[in-house]
Amino acid sequence: MKPAFDPVQLAIPFFVVAIVLEVLLARFGKARAHYEPRDAATSLLMGLGSTIAGLLTGGAVFAASLWVYEHRLFTIPMTAIWAWVVLFFAEDLTYYWFHRLSHERRFWWASHVNHHSSTHYNLTTALRQTWTGGVAGTWLLWLPLSFLGFPPAMVAIQKGISLVYQFWIHTEAVRRMPAWFEAVLNTPSHHRVHHARNPRYLDANYAGILIIWDRMFGTFIPEDDAEPCRYGIVRNLPSFNLLANVFHEWIGIGKDLAGSRSPREVIGYLFGPPGWSPDGSRETSHTLKARWRAREEVRGKGASLP
Amino acid sequence: MDNALLIQLLGSALAVALLVGLSAWARIARPSPPLDEVAARALLAEEFPDHRAEAVWIAGDAAAVVARAGDLALVLWRKGDGYVARSAAWRDVVAASPVEGRVRLAAVDGAPRLRLGERAWPPLEAAA
Repeated sequence: MKPAFDPVQLAIPFFVVAIVLEVLLARFGKARAHYEPRDAATSLLMGLGSTIAGLLTGGAVFAASLWVYEHRLFTIPMTAIWAWVVLFFAEDLTYYWFHRLSHERRFWWASHVNHHSSTHYNLTTALRQTWTGGVAGTWLLWLPLSFLGFPPAMVAIQKGISLVYQFWIHTEAVRRMPAWFEAVLNTPSHHRVHHARNPRYLDANYAGILIIWDRMFGTFIPEDDAEPCRYGIVRNLPSFNLLANVFHEWIGIGKDLAGSRSPREVIGYLFGPPGWSPDGSRETSHTLKARWRAREEVRGKGASLP
Repeated sequence: MDNALLIQLLGSALAVALLVGLSAWARIARPSPPLDEVAARALLAEEFPDHRAEAVWIAGDAAAVVARAGDLALVLWRKGDGYVARSAAWRDVVAASPVEGRVRLAAVDGAPRLRLGERAWPPLEAAA
């Protein structure tokens, strides 16, 4: 169940046209973009599957939002401009924390990792969406907005606007936007860093629309032209298998839980950072960044590290 | 399932097929020429910055690399227009047996199948 006005549904023709344009411009040497057909197929099929998965859980999510709204603190009118302005910031801040949680805790990473498994960064990557977000329960983070008094349909529309905004930033065709734009808004440059697997760029730039949250909370890392982004995840997947792409981290969690020997291990495997292990033998973003820093110190570049 | 939804899904599936076809026609994958020793070492340095490859074995089709770094085997193999990187115990990797011109590295996560061509297996120069 969705509101009658769904920005994402309305934007689908634009998505298709933009992908066609990106491919054609790259084909004729007018823009930078790389497409590997099997990678693009995986991304697009994950987008399609995500829509179907959303149909299965969307009703329950919307019903929960309505229930919370019935117990709201205030009644915020959907027709007031100030309400949309406040919601724009509140929803974007919610998105920032959802996104940060989805990278820094394995249970939610298991759902979000799908979006990062492509080794390419083009407009199809934007559509590589999770199938298991409903199960992971990150939608709970948006319920406080309805509890405050924003109508669930209003919240859903703003979430849709945010998703549509984030489509165009998944490209290498745009190098930099004007400085004022880069300072305030999420851009292709900022989001390339977010999709990079270079240790220096890990766990950064979680913004949805406004990059100011990353600047405020210390997770902003600018793109350094001297170190081009290498895309994907730390351990890139060995195949284009669609189901492996969707479920590999959930399967990994299941295997780890089956081998757990204590409640501490269960909690660590579920809610520790991705890569957590009881003996510290696996790699987390923290350990990868620490080793990278150590290497840079040896090379004498330590002073300028982010 | 109502008709509108069915039409939407079929339309989306058709759009996916057309876009994938377009991307195949455009031939704009990353350039990834066959690996030689210089390219293989550069790739190894990028993927395994904490390890120094002592010797490098390149598969017969120049699409995979096995390098020794102490007790570790550093393995790279082609996936699409890029490479997958994994490490495993050297002794487990070189214990794999060739079958019909290929060797399947079961000890490596992802179990890549490397084409031998004229190359000897296990990699003598890398084991030396």
